Amino acid sequence: MKLLRCPINGLRPLQEFLFGGELRDMPDPAVATDRQWADYVFNRQGEPGIRKEWWYHLASGTWFIAERDNAKDVILRTYLYGAGGQDA
Amino acid sequence: MPLRLLKFALSRQYREPRMFRAHDRLRDRYDAVIIGAGGHGLAAAYYLARDYGMTDVAVLDKGYIGGGNTGRNTAIVRSNYLTVEGVRFYDESVRLFSRLSQDLDLNIFYSERGHFTLAHTESTLRTMRWRAEVNKHLGVNSFVIAPREIKRICPSIDLDCGGHMPITGALYHPPGAIVRHDAVAWGYGREADRRGVEIHQQTAVTAIDVKNDQVVGVETSRGYIRTSRVLSAVAGYTPRITKMVGLRTPITVQPLQACVTEPLKPWLDSIIVSANLHLYVSQSSRGELVMGASLDPYELHSERSTLDFVEGLADHLLQLFPFLSDVKVNRQWAGMSDMTPDFSPIMGTTPIRGFYLDAGWGTWGFKATPVCGTTMAYTVANDCNHELIAAFNLSRFEEYELVGEKGAASVGH
Amino acid sequence: MSLRRLPEQPREWIDRGQSLRFDFEGRSYDGFAGDTLTSALAAHGVHVLGRSFKYHRPRGICSLANHDVNALVQNGSNTNVRADVLELAAGASYRAVNTFGGLARDRARLLDRFGAFLPVGFYYKTFHRPRRWFPFFERRMRALAGLGAIRPDAPRRRTPKRYDFCDVLVIGAGPSGLAAATAAADCGAKAVVVDEQRRPGGSLNYQCVAGPGSENDAADLLRQAASRSNVDIRPDTVAAGCYADCFVALVDAKRLTKMRARSIVMATGAFEQPAVFGNNDLPGVILATAAQRLIHLFAVRPFDRCVVLAANSDGYRAALDLAGAGVRVAAIVDLRPDGETGALADEVSRAKIRTCVSHAVYQAIPAAGLRGIRAAVVCPLAADGTPEPQQAFDIACDGIAMSVGWAPADGPFCQAGGRMQWSDALQQFVPRSAPEGIFVAGRLNGIYALDDRILDGRRAGLAAAAFLGLHSAPLPPEVARPAASPNHPYPIVPHPHAKSFVDLDEDVQYKDLVHSVQEGFDQVELAKRYSTFGMGPSQGKLANTNAMRIIARANGKTVAETGVPRSRPFFHPVPLAHLAGRGFHPQRRTPLHERHVQAGAVFMPAGDWLRPAYYAPEGERRAQAIRAEALAVRSAVGLIDIGTLGKLEIIGPDAAAFLERVYTGKFANLPVGAMRYALACDESGVIIDDGTVARLADDRFYVTTTTTASASVYREMQRWAIIWKLNVTIANVTGSFAGVNVAGPLSRRILQTLTDADCSAGAIPYQAVRSATVAGVTARLMRVGFVGELGYEIHVPAYGARRVWDALVDAGRPHGIRPFGVEAQRLLRLEKGHVIVSQDTDGLTNPFEAQLAWAVKSDKPFFVGGRSLEILKRKPLSRKLVGFTLATEDLREREAVQECHLIIAGGHIAGRVTSIGCSAVLGQTIGLAYVRPEMAAVGSPLSIRVDDGRMVPATVARTPFYDPKNERQTLAYCC
Repeated sequence: MKLLRCPINGLRPLQEFLFGGELRDMPDPAVATDRQWADYVFNRQGEPGIRKEWWYHLASGTWFIAERDNAKDVILRTYLYGAGGQDA
Repeated sequence: MPLRLLKFALSRQYREPRMFRAHDRLRDRYDAVIIGAGGHGLAAAYYLARDYGMTDVAVLDKGYIGGGNTGRNTAIVRSNYLTVEGVRFYDESVRLFSRLSQDLDLNIFYSERGHFTLAHTESTLRTMRWRAEVNKHLGVNSFVIAPREIKRICPSIDLDCGGHMPITGALYHPPGAIVRHDAVAWGYGREADRRGVEIHQQTAVTAIDVKNDQVVGVETSRGYIRTSRVLSAVAGYTPRITKMVGLRTPITVQPLQACVTEPLKPWLDSIIVSANLHLYVSQSSRGELVMGASLDPYELHSERSTLDFVEGLADHLLQLFPFLSDVKVNRQWAGMSDMTPDFSPIMGTTPIRGFYLDAGWGTWGFKATPVCGTTMAYTVANDCNHELIAAFNLSRFEEYELVGEKGAASVGH
Repeated sequence: MSLRRLPEQPREWIDRGQSLRFDFEGRSYDGFAGDTLTSALAAHGVHVLGRSFKYHRPRGICSLANHDVNALVQNGSNTNVRADVLELAAGASYRAVNTFGGLARDRARLLDRFGAFLPVGFYYKTFHRPRRWFPFFERRMRALAGLGAIRPDAPRRRTPKRYDFCDVLVIGAGPSGLAAATAAADCGAKAVVVDEQRRPGGSLNYQCVAGPGSENDAADLLRQAASRSNVDIRPDTVAAGCYADCFVALVDAKRLTKMRARSIVMATGAFEQPAVFGNNDLPGVILATAAQRLIHLFAVRPFDRCVVLAANSDGYRAALDLAGAGVRVAAIVDLRPDGETGALADEVSRAKIRTCVSHAVYQAIPAAGLRGIRAAVVCPLAADGTPEPQQAFDIACDGIAMSVGWAPADGPFCQAGGRMQWSDALQQFVPRSAPEGIFVAGRLNGIYALDDRILDGRRAGLAAAAFLGLHSAPLPPEVARPAASPNHPYPIVPHPHAKSFVDLDEDVQYKDLVHSVQEGFDQVELAKRYSTFGMGPSQGKLANTNAMRIIARANGKTVAETGVPRSRPFFHPVPLAHLAGRGFHPQRRTPLHERHVQAGAVFMPAGDWLRPAYYAPEGERRAQAIRAEALAVRSAVGLIDIGTLGKLEIIGPDAAAFLERVYTGKFANLPVGAMRYALACDESGVIIDDGTVARLADDRFYVTTTTTASASVYREMQRWAIIWKLNVTIANVTGSFAGVNVAGPLSRRILQTLTDADCSAGAIPYQAVRSATVAGVTARLMRVGFVGELGYEIHVPAYGARRVWDALVDAGRPHGIRPFGVEAQRLLRLEKGHVIVSQDTDGLTNPFEAQLAWAVKSDKPFFVGGRSLEILKRKPLSRKLVGFTLATEDLREREAVQECHLIIAGGHIAGRVTSIGCSAVLGQTIGLAYVRPEMAAVGSPLSIRVDDGRMVPATVARTPFYDPKNERQTLAYCC
């Protein structure tokens, strides 16, 4: 199966990981309209492309971000949240 | 002996006509454009032509007819859902399916086999009862049965599941059926084609032209089409299309895998689904066991297969039918499922006038093929949602009116 | 010696010292160890091995390489076994599959006569009118379809799996594969070579290579590879599926090995392809390599007299092999306009073998009873390749060996992500692009000459080593593909009357494909689905290429535009038992598991855990046991193992702030030593879990979750902590801590005997948490109220659990303490009206619907789900959870109501029962249900519809049902 590189534990088989969904910015709930909030809660960037995603290494309990081309199934890089530069 | 076959034997030449015409060119204007020549798209085209006289319709597909999920699913038809909206909707589909071979004059091998949803825990059995009660209320033949009844109808099943998670009961749905899935697309396609609908294969949509929130045209790989009505029925490709019109949806795409064994002499009449082992299996009329399990748990726009899918499935299958150890898996494949948060589809009008969605079909789309055809045809023809699909509108999410079909409980005790 | 057995051959696989007897179709034969079933039968001149799928025509050898499934047999429990590669076992008894009355007298052979009635797709056009007859026809068709039969009493076979790793996986142990492995190994790579055949060597074993010393080449290559200590050659091993990142499923007779390679060399070779002509499926029409395998591997003379249909040099070599084995080669029929030139042609003419250049085989004439062939009808080809049947002539023969070309075995390569493209020059697909780390060599790469294949293999091996950083010198130049293609572009001469087969598995004929195109199934995938070519057990290995050519021509398109259907795992079918393995299902148990077993527990699954549902040490009935356990708790004292609950420690300066944001309630103001109910929602406001939060210190909290949600709650907390950048540590101590709940009016008294801590109500009030030593074990005590009695949760490190349990049981014995299980607990909490998440809530329930609005503190600045709950609060409720009691005295009616029965009002669904129980202490049947808000007032009547459709009356009741003022659990005084 696919291999994924946990930033802490290195290259591990995909079965050791859990997909945590796309990395999303939460709008300020105090300021967002109901519609903007519902869009944040439910809508997703569903089309193929290079996405930043949350992944969790089950064996070690490590959350991290993977930049992945979700059409070609190629992982460009993985890093701990906050260590990726710019936003996350 | 069916008389049709005589005709083949007696004539010297093989005179069967094309089921779908080939078109040299794509015209530059149609009353309606349907994106996706799978079961849903072709069914909508058929009912538009048959019931509303709308024949100036082009059905476009970037590949071949039925090449998407219509050709990849495990072909189970049933209506034993959980919500009132869902049951009404799918039961109408079952009703249409049961007569479809006659309506389309093409044998789609609609075979009523009886459908079990096995429960292996008390809490799952509770959910089965919930479904049974809603089903019965709406007149659907569906009820909870005890393990000994399961064994009576399906003697080869191991109720003990090899000692791990024995079966506690099942939801039994006698009308559950399996179908020759490709033939559904071919039948709808032929009948739509016969009525003047143009099916254009190998024609990709590259952009949708919207002005003032109204659809005005479609850009394709074979030219531009002016139209005021576009129906998107492309399942796993939906986000690419909704992006073209700037619509945000909850849809994410995950692979759903399936596999078949070598053909065997008939031994399994029923359709078996296990809610706890996440497995479904039936035996096709060709003799192959057709099987699937749960979705791949991550987004991926690909039809690739994995080994762990078939490993997990084999383990669970042998728990139910331990004597199949030496039966061999022949082939595995996958399709792209457009998933929604509440496991109900997204159908009908959208904030873009003239743009209609038939999407969010996840792992539950094939059985809805006929009723999607009728309801979307109504919706496109009248520019207003058919009452059977009103609850499935895209707007339900911003209104927090989800239609929960995932089952009673998503969290355990 | 049997009829067709040859004297010893230099490379034979049989052991003449071991004779084995076996049965086939009820008749006894003998063969040698090392024979396959097919070769042993062929030695006896038995050519009919099976009956075809649709027409039940007799079939025999085609490829003898497991590329076709003409010979499928069953033996006891095993069905659909491939006779061509099945090694003979002494005393075994085999029958062909899918016959009705045996192979010789198969009743279904009549279907062959009715071919005209059964054109492609005939079943779509009939059998559906009248509708009620379809099930009858379907049953008949199902009985005819299918190959082998299952045995319902066969036991489950558990085969262990294995993981394996290597630097270079070479798929194919033919000349290019062996060369690749040797080259890679010489650079220091650990190489594993797999081959589906019983012995390595590939075509070296059976294809006579012209020139002196050729045998030495073969042995030499093999010896070189085998002598490298870092080359591991594994024959009889199929690379059944190639998955992402060089992960390959290797299947042998015993097990599935999951191989993670760092690189792969695909040296899978090519499938020799059949020609299409009239009756090309009859026994006696075989591939030239099959004839060569028979001769060289099994020492069997394939025919008495044969015709070789050739379109390449291989065919000429095969003719010489056949002649050398004592077959009378009546003619080589060469499809090519210029035939063969050079040394090979000379040798053939020296052997006095007639050649018919620019001719084709038009039809095979069947022998009596269709048991084989007796002649080949040969006709010339015009300059443009069209056949001229009017000038046809017969050549008597009992066999036709076809050598018209190859198709690359690109399945594994494509599965791994490789892409192929059509080469007009070579008339086959060749690799176009490969993913990183994957290399190709040999016939798969369009290289045919033996020396070139070896060079190509070496190059691929070095490329793999370079990829791994083990080889830095420049790679040797790429090997050029042959100028003359060994693959005939269109080896298809359809006969107007005799069936001309394209797919033997599915009995698909030439005309079926033409008709498919005619009917609009003109793209290769559509034609496949309509005609079913390529859908049989051999997955089109011998059919796809010819089908593609026919479809292309019928469409007036090129082969490159047409393509072949997509290749998918598995290369050969894999048994379910191999895939399933031993079937491990981990079970989680608390440290008290043995105590429960000893106490007669009946267990139930809760996620991965096993929990006692109830105890029945003397075989009590379920209802009895639950009732007694619940009564014991209410009247005296009971003990339940709550060790499966999730337990988390939240530690740090931001711990309180963190919990404020995760849960709906307030915890920043929770005093040290106190605990509170905690409700968690997801971002959409749906309830996902509940539990308790206890404050041990300013910066330290002890949190419990439900059993099944503990892992997901922990995980989500970890993520939130990262996103919010809070200074908090979350420790998942679920497995580290065991827990018991001792509950009942006598609980305090019993607990006090086991601890020095002051257990008086003043010292440990309701919802307090304290540290104490209980039965000598450090414990956290929490006074809780879930079951509605005075009670204490005692959380101890797992190693102390049994000690505490035993001490409680001892101390409680004089007071009648008894263990109670999940079912009794469910009833007790129901008597208090407490909600169980996932039983009384579903995937869409929000707190406002479930009587939990009180737990939502909207005046907090932020918590997960808060914003959505704001939105939901403004919407009218569509349902409300209420308590109810059954209004009927009739016992049967009371017992008929179950969870998930519906509330019906005005003929519509107005709600559903989520919990129900017979309360002994109240003498009533009580429950919780969702109802429409307008029906939620206490005292409102409800109608519940039970299984048989009857309506049972109920009344909305206030909760808690028992001890409405909660006095018993909050007990402020001691007793």
